[in-house]
Amino acid sequence: MENRIPVIMDCDPGHDDAIGLLLANASEKIDVLAVTTCGGNQTVEKTTYNAQRVCTLLDMNVPIGKGAARPLTEVPMNAPSVHGKSGLDGPALPEPAYPISDLSAIELMAQTIRSADRPVTIVSTGPMTNTAGFLLAHPELKHKVAQVSMMGGGIGHGNWTPAAEFNILADPEAADMVFRSGVPILMAGLDVTEQALIYRQDIDRIRALGNHVASVVADWIEFFFEFHRQRGYAGAPLHDPVATAALIAPELFQMRELYVQIETQGEFCRGATVGDVNGSTGNAPNARCIMGLDRQGFVDLLCSAVQTYGR
Amino acid sequence: MDKHFVWLDCDTGTDDAAAILCANGLPELEIVGISAVAGNVELEKTYRNALRLNRLMGTDYPVYQGAEKPWRKELETGYRYHGENGLGGVELPLPERYPEVTEKAWDALYRAAVRYEGALELIATGPLTNVATALVKYPDLKKYLARIVIMGGSAGAGNRTPAAEYNIYADPDAASAVFQAGIPLVMCGLDVTMKAYFMEEDLLAVKAGGTTVGRLFHDSLQAPLQTQHGTGVKLHDVVAVMYAARPDMFDGKMAGVRVETRGGCTNGKTVTDLYSDKKFPDKNVFVVLDIDHARFVREVSELLLSYRDLE
Repeated sequence: MENRIPVIMDCDPGHDDAIGLLLANASEKIDVLAVTTCGGNQTVEKTTYNAQRVCTLLDMNVPIGKGAARPLTEVPMNAPSVHGKSGLDGPALPEPAYPISDLSAIELMAQTIRSADRPVTIVSTGPMTNTAGFLLAHPELKHKVAQVSMMGGGIGHGNWTPAAEFNILADPEAADMVFRSGVPILMAGLDVTEQALIYRQDIDRIRALGNHVASVVADWIEFFFEFHRQRGYAGAPLHDPVATAALIAPELFQMRELYVQIETQGEFCRGATVGDVNGSTGNAPNARCIMGLDRQGFVDLLCSAVQTYGR
Repeated sequence: MDKHFVWLDCDTGTDDAAAILCANGLPELEIVGISAVAGNVELEKTYRNALRLNRLMGTDYPVYQGAEKPWRKELETGYRYHGENGLGGVELPLPERYPEVTEKAWDALYRAAVRYEGALELIATGPLTNVATALVKYPDLKKYLARIVIMGGSAGAGNRTPAAEYNIYADPDAASAVFQAGIPLVMCGLDVTMKAYFMEEDLLAVKAGGTTVGRLFHDSLQAPLQTQHGTGVKLHDVVAVMYAARPDMFDGKMAGVRVETRGGCTNGKTVTDLYSDKKFPDKNVFVVLDIDHARFVREVSELLLSYRDLE
């Protein structure tokens, strides 16, 4: 385990979050220490239940800490149009075999990071409420956060508004705190995640792997694709798994160091991740932004992760 | 050939000067009037620079003074690119005689628009303070303007700040008023103007014509040329004029565009929905995105080389 990257998966599953959990759990390069949940794709009640079910499906026996019901200052925002009423509509899943931790998401993060023998990476694939809350409540542990690898934002554009991506828009103040914290940020924004497309033939290839996880993953992607197909996508953009894949196989991704600010105000720009691409602020970069990927390599990585579940 | 009757609203300005020289030379355009606005340099200078161009071109277009400062913020000049005199330090004489004009830019623009009974087009290459003031004072002006072609904004990143382009950043409130006015609007933003570059040898070829116009063009653009690290000087404002006359040199798309005026770090961003899943309810702007660069350089050079010294 010495060479593995210790991570906490902070997520709001969510179809693509679930596939991110799969990638992390299947990888020999990653050691998942804990899962924490937040409201986002659905309410925190539903995403926590989904996290339990996904961990059960994946034989992933790690502590699960339930996060806050609300963003730091905002009213909760969910995405049932993308992920369905349950937050993870589609294939049937096993009932939870593992309980929820007695610790809240923030306290589970703190305990996990405090007791870790090395700095821990937080993989954040939902609104950044828990990570911000942890940094506010436990400043003494900041130095033990290796980096935050997050899916959110977009240097070029948004999706939930023309300027803002969902995860950032759902809690801009939290994202602002994390981006200002000094903790290194690895940002998988829409710039790359809208290129992380899974096509019809890729779904068939995953299904053909033939194990119990393969069929569920294929069904998840089909469900996720349907929403995006109606919006003109040629495949299903697997947003959240990019934040994990970039830790496992950084060679698949093109990255660019940028100074990124979070807009928390604005009539049209609230929740925008503003990248200083022309260097007009003179500020040092605070984020490595992933701008492109080797799509085929990404699909291959996903397939080999599914394959670890046998035939 | 269809003749376009155009009004030029400029903050002359090195590239504004080139834009005026091109507009005067283009057979497709007939200049009805020129108004000066504060921007690249102070109003007093942008006004006099327009008069100096009258003398250089042997024309007597009426020149009017408009706003001394943006609506709700202080003027931020661009001495770094335009020099203290606005013409990169190149000295041009004022006309020996010019009328004492007291009529304001917005009054003169409105009077001309009414006189042309809806045929007048406006080309604005500075902050939009004069144009917005005209629309406030004369709400029915929108009936009389056939269209507005602006240099300003960006569907992507900015140049004055990470989010905002200079002309829009200089007066976001005025820009917002113009974008919402309901007049057909063509936005020549950084998306296209960054591709409208002249390399040093292109500037030298114009200077080699041996005229004052050639020397002005080459010498006034040395400061921006030096800052561009070998990528050439961008003739931002000339794009708006060339688009007005020869749109077949360009490509673009209709899009929903809003100007952020209430942001923290995004004020003056022209938020477009070109690349986002989420769209604004209406497509209110034609966003110019691409240019036939070789043709641009050739035709702008020809226009500038056609001048002869008059004195």
